[in-house]
Amino acid sequence: MASAPSKLYTGSSFFLSDKNNTHVFHSYSMFDFVIADDVSLLVVLMDTNPFFWSTFSLQFSDFLSHVLTFLNSILLLNQLNQVVVIATGRNSCGYIYDSSTTSDHGLETGTMPALSSNLLLKLEEFVDKDEQLGKVDSEGAIASSLLSGSLSMALCYIQRVFRSGPLHPQPRILCLHGSPDGPEQYVAIMNAIFSAQRSMVPIDSCYVGSNNSAFLQQASYITGGVYYKPPQLDGIFQYFSTIFATDLHSRTFLRLPKSVGVDFRASCFCHKQTIDMGYICSVCLSIFCEHHKKCSTCGSVFGQAQADVLSAANRKRKTLDT
Amino acid sequence: MPQVKIIAKNFMDMVSSLPAMKLDKLYENAFICEAILRSLQPLAKKYVLQMLYIDTLVAAKLMEEWVLPDWFSKHRVALDRLLQLRIFTETVDRKKEKMYRINSTFQKNLQKLLVHGEVLPREPMPPNTVRLPSLEDLEAYALAQWEFFLLQLISSNQAERSSSISSAMLKVFKRGLLSQRDKEAPKLTESGFQFLLMDTNAQLWYIIREYISNSEERGVDSADLISFLLELSFHVTGEAYNLNTLNDVQRITIKDLADLGLVKLQQGRKESWFIPTKLVTNLSASLTDSSSRKQGFVVVETNFRMYAYSTSKLLCEILQQFASLEYQLPNLIVSAITKDSIYNAFEKGITADQIISFLQQNAHPRVALRIPSVPENVTDQIRLWESDRNRVEITPAHYYDEFPSREVFEAACDCAREWNGLLWEDSKKMRMVVKAEAHMHVREYLRRQK
Repeated sequence: MASAPSKLYTGSSFFLSDKNNTHVFHSYSMFDFVIADDVSLLVVLMDTNPFFWSTFSLQFSDFLSHVLTFLNSILLLNQLNQVVVIATGRNSCGYIYDSSTTSDHGLETGTMPALSSNLLLKLEEFVDKDEQLGKVDSEGAIASSLLSGSLSMALCYIQRVFRSGPLHPQPRILCLHGSPDGPEQYVAIMNAIFSAQRSMVPIDSCYVGSNNSAFLQQASYITGGVYYKPPQLDGIFQYFSTIFATDLHSRTFLRLPKSVGVDFRASCFCHKQTIDMGYICSVCLSIFCEHHKKCSTCGSVFGQAQADVLSAANRKRKTLDT
Repeated sequence: MPQVKIIAKNFMDMVSSLPAMKLDKLYENAFICEAILRSLQPLAKKYVLQMLYIDTLVAAKLMEEWVLPDWFSKHRVALDRLLQLRIFTETVDRKKEKMYRINSTFQKNLQKLLVHGEVLPREPMPPNTVRLPSLEDLEAYALAQWEFFLLQLISSNQAERSSSISSAMLKVFKRGLLSQRDKEAPKLTESGFQFLLMDTNAQLWYIIREYISNSEERGVDSADLISFLLELSFHVTGEAYNLNTLNDVQRITIKDLADLGLVKLQQGRKESWFIPTKLVTNLSASLTDSSSRKQGFVVVETNFRMYAYSTSKLLCEILQQFASLEYQLPNLIVSAITKDSIYNAFEKGITADQIISFLQQNAHPRVALRIPSVPENVTDQIRLWESDRNRVEITPAHYYDEFPSREVFEAACDCAREWNGLLWEDSKKMRMVVKAEAHMHVREYLRRQK
């Protein structure tokens, strides 16, 4: 029953996004002009964890100005490009910008373009609310952000776009993350990653924190996105524009950073710790760091009682057959 | 026919063919930089963005490393385009290495756009001074105006003569699309019909391109006109802009554009203003965007019936080019695709692929979800009819039978063969078919035999 979980999720990753793109490209080539579908929907998940940013070498405001320029550049590249920004807080997540609903004109305040002022306003509201939620919680919680929440929100948004009709932009997710992984979110994040893989949405990650993030490495690896940890933070916009601004169509042609080593370690379901080796339930593939008598997820009984469980299952099948 | 085929992707060719001086002048306008950037291929766009904050020369060798070796041709195409548009400039250093850098005016303008966002050249008028139409009304107005324009094109002989379309515009679209032999009513040419089957954006670009290319005749600088048009495309749909902000040339242009439904002109007590419609704001959207297409309305069934949910008179006319109208309800046009109707279309120079792509592009949302959106048997049949036309060659000919004797028949066959005019013979029943041009000779020969 014990196996090496490190090999658990490697086999299933494949890069469908590229295939899909070339398919779109060919199916239109019967027309006189070549349709290059580079219309993209970029969902940016931005880490707003105050515990991380207060200890970080780069000021949050500086980082934000790079991000704003990057968002502008995405919108500049194609009239139909769409940008959604979701803030990943400590206790909650929220939409703080959506280019399809906010009109960039009209709200002009004079000193600042509409995109930045709208976004900043919403961001401030969000951070305040997030802080208030935190006070209710007990102090001294782990300084990780709610990545699973914002990933799910992004995927929900993308599903809505998929269902809006046959002509929709090519979606991708970009995680701008800095805070360390929260092992307690392992299951939720893995589920989000697999649903992203199923709907062929690549997750790019730009990790600015100190150590590599195993979650984001896996997310990008499995979904065929790009994981990159910029070695230098001064000109982070250049990294954005060189790597993360690449639309899915051009990714077929360009040389983008490849993942060198991906940390495939999983967290156990019982204590939410990252483990190298552990026990796996043979029925539902739940992971545990120590031997249990019964699987906490599916209720299968381990150990000596195994034979009984099997025969019970067989008997059930037989009764069903007859 | 090729004339229309080229135009679909051609605006940039037109811009890139401008002399260097004019191009550099164009790039002083930030909107043009934006529009041109958007019209590039994805890879070229990417390169521009990547180079945007690099102030030094970048070696060509280094750039080649950006792209995967298999796709080197794509890289070449993108770079050539950028060089052609003078967005990148090439220099060769002492070691004979090629180096590139981005055009500094272009670079500065785009940087400004990224940091400060768009700033329109003219402020919209405050909404309390003018009465603005609702967005739906405006769109309906634009489409009606555009349809009226197209309707004139398709049935120029029966259209109401009280058209408001200015002479400059008429001259523009008559060129190439309409042919007029003296004293006859003007007739649509092949490319005219193909033009009608294109989607609105492509049609618009065709007209605008013609409008620009003959601007010199009207004494308007084409670079000025291009920059004004692109500038207009960045205005906000449905806002009012004062006509005072325009110069004389622009004011004349605006009037022409109003005839096409690109802008709506309105007059107040003291001032007059223009309201951009969706047509003009779509102008800068790159032509290759498939997603900008409007909602379709045509349902084709496997029994060759075609239902078009539309009230448009124009659409009815277009459908009649390749289908026979059965009946028309207030919001529904029912027609059938028949061999005759399709042959009619072929006669006019429309190809099967054009008809099929028209049907696919305008498929009703219900059927657009299906793959294929147009039933396969219908598309196959249309293609077959086309290949039939290519397979069967019609030759005028004469039929001979009732020969008095086999000798006479054989001799007549030989004679026809000599003139290279024997199409078919049946020696058993003594029948033969002779080409029309050989008929005279064979007849003469037979007469002499008597």
